[in-house]
Amino acid sequence: MPRAWKSPVTLRDTAPTPAAEQQVLPFAESVPPVKPLSVAPTQVKRLWFCICLPNLPLEACRETASYERVLRATSVGRETASYERVLRATSVGRETASYRGLAIVEEQHGIHRVLQADAAATAAGIMPGQSANAALALLPALRLEERSPVREQQVLEALATWLERFSSFVSIAGKNVLLLEIAGSLRLFGGLPSLRRQVSQGLAAQGFSAAMAIAPTPLAATWLARAGRRSCIRAEENLGPALRKLPLACLDWPAGQRESLAGMGITNIGDCLRLPREGFARRFGSQRLLELDRALGHLPDPRDSWRAPERFCADYEMLEEQSDRELLLPVCRELLLAHEQFLLARQLGTQRLCFSFFHLKSTATELRLGSAFADRSTDRWFDLLKIRFESVRLQEAVIAVRLQSGLSQPLQAETARLCFDTKAGNERRRYSIAQLAERLVARIGGGAVNALTMVAEHRPEYAWKVQNPLSDGSNSTLNTRDGIKRPLWMLPEPALLPADSGYPLHKGCRLTLLEGPERLETGWWDEQGISRDYYTAINGAGIRLWVFRNRQRTPNWYLHGIFG
Amino acid sequence: MSLEKLLENPRVWRGSRQVDARSGLASGYPELDRCLPGGGWPLEALTEILIGQYGIGELRLLMPALARLSTEETQAQYDHSGAHTEPGWIAWIAPPFQPYAPALQQCGIDLSRMLIVRPKDDSELLWSAEQALSSGTCAAVLLWPDTLDDKASRRLQLAAEKGHSWAIAFRPLNARQQPSAAALRLELQSTGQGTRVHVLKSRGGRPTVLDSLL
Repeated sequence: MPRAWKSPVTLRDTAPTPAAEQQVLPFAESVPPVKPLSVAPTQVKRLWFCICLPNLPLEACRETASYERVLRATSVGRETASYERVLRATSVGRETASYRGLAIVEEQHGIHRVLQADAAATAAGIMPGQSANAALALLPALRLEERSPVREQQVLEALATWLERFSSFVSIAGKNVLLLEIAGSLRLFGGLPSLRRQVSQGLAAQGFSAAMAIAPTPLAATWLARAGRRSCIRAEENLGPALRKLPLACLDWPAGQRESLAGMGITNIGDCLRLPREGFARRFGSQRLLELDRALGHLPDPRDSWRAPERFCADYEMLEEQSDRELLLPVCRELLLAHEQFLLARQLGTQRLCFSFFHLKSTATELRLGSAFADRSTDRWFDLLKIRFESVRLQEAVIAVRLQSGLSQPLQAETARLCFDTKAGNERRRYSIAQLAERLVARIGGGAVNALTMVAEHRPEYAWKVQNPLSDGSNSTLNTRDGIKRPLWMLPEPALLPADSGYPLHKGCRLTLLEGPERLETGWWDEQGISRDYYTAINGAGIRLWVFRNRQRTPNWYLHGIFG
Repeated sequence: MSLEKLLENPRVWRGSRQVDARSGLASGYPELDRCLPGGGWPLEALTEILIGQYGIGELRLLMPALARLSTEETQAQYDHSGAHTEPGWIAWIAPPFQPYAPALQQCGIDLSRMLIVRPKDDSELLWSAEQALSSGTCAAVLLWPDTLDDKASRRLQLAAEKGHSWAIAFRPLNARQQPSAAALRLELQSTGQGTRVHVLKSRGGRPTVLDSLL
């Protein structure tokens, strides 16, 4: 490739010709490029601490314990049915504790491939790029998890919140990069080495492996961290030499551009800087040039500061002990009104609230409320509170009430319909299905309110599942052979039927088999395989039953459903 | 005093007036529709179905109507504003067994409109049913109470009217002796050949017996 390798050299050779002087002004620092418009770089010296988390997909998954609650809300109904079967195949009959190794898989062109694997899995020979099935073959006890960008973002936000103790300016700069401005924190934390040690120890204690770098500009710090250099550059004049040696691979430029640059023999940032500015901008876009300028500190690089979501917490202290429920409710309403004002000012809503009723001697009584959508309306929360409050037993008189809100989130307001004919419109719908589900859950508990969905599965007991009524889960159906009716009522477990010379008995009388057999022999891939002959039978009372005879072990008859 | 004048008096109750213009929901069984005053199930009211044992055909009787409710925008015809109303939900409150999703789908029911509620006791059951009925989002509410006194049935009837919903209570045969506010009471009995449907009470109609309907 002598030609490609040569091209930058020729460019450099032409540079000193006077005619081209203006156009091919090199990046060299001695000759500063056109001074940025009039935006003078801030005089305050800044220092950026970059934390890059290359193993975030894997580590975010390990964090499940603490994030499980959030997760369950987000991941319901996301998985595809086929993938679920892979998961179930691995999990059936084994307990969660017996997993060894963890691998994160991601779907690429319809195949689930390993993205990252932990130490135990790597030791077993699992490598990134393998298919999920190959990984399972190598290590049957492997725990497979699908990559979840939502979860990664949540972990990143939790880390940003934690990092706020080191600096007042924390920024999330990408999928796995966190930036801290630390110039102002150095004295408080006893100098750079001490601060750096505290951050790295804290990250290690939380189970994150991070690449860290410090530089005067945020982009330079990011690139240095991505390249894995544990460098610490404090003076701006040292920045240029350090950046020049960085390979282009640590810049998140599109792969196509990196390839064409590599084709031109340009492999590091120093090569890039030697190219003529105009031509570079024309070929690769002014955005790339801007990035280079920002990294070198020639142009300002404003960043958004991360702000941890605020929570509401307010107490109401009683003048005297209060045990009358009717008088406690207005106090709660008072607190809810203050909560609504707090959220209104910030355009936020919340999905969870926690009331604590403090007593003089015994521990506080807690009452948690949940709502299907982020909301701040006092009336709705108060409605839910009243329903829940009926079932709460207060041990003694209450001396104070505290209201704590859960994580707040941006409110999704809904545009109301302009309805002139209010008489018919308002009467019809008192509240939506979400509100109905909320009210039912508040009174009788979360597990008791469900919706149904189908699962593509031939085994009758797995062909359906319950789901959260508010998630619009995918309804994967399996085409059953036409004309084969399924019973409307399903027994929770097949019930053993006594038999009389080979014929099943139900309530003491012999069943007449009407249709069948329909042979279902499937599920051999896990330990719940079935091999059954299903019949439609009719009993003495004229009730049609769905019964089967087991073909696997003892040929017993079971009742599985009733054609209601 | 002429007869017409006498009849104008609001204190005079006339049975025939109860059958108002709004038609019932076709049950999918023409023989049954002919016996019901509105030409079908009386919506916005309580229907009681008395059964000796589960599985006698009580669900099959309802399926065609429920399938229509869950898929069609049937509510729209009563909405005088003509506003769009999406199909309602169908709530199952304390079903004795698990409603089997594949079979429901075979009957043409939209599964994404099912809500299954399993309350702990009878008071929670009635509360849930009343909430679901009066919410205005449920097109039909099926409930399996252990006991249902006349006061509770009256409340359900009122909630159904308020929320424009259809309440269906499944009760044992011995409830036949108890008074009820239901607009329609059916008794299902199995004979050797099929299931006999006995219309015990029908507001604005008259009791009948339909042999081997199912």
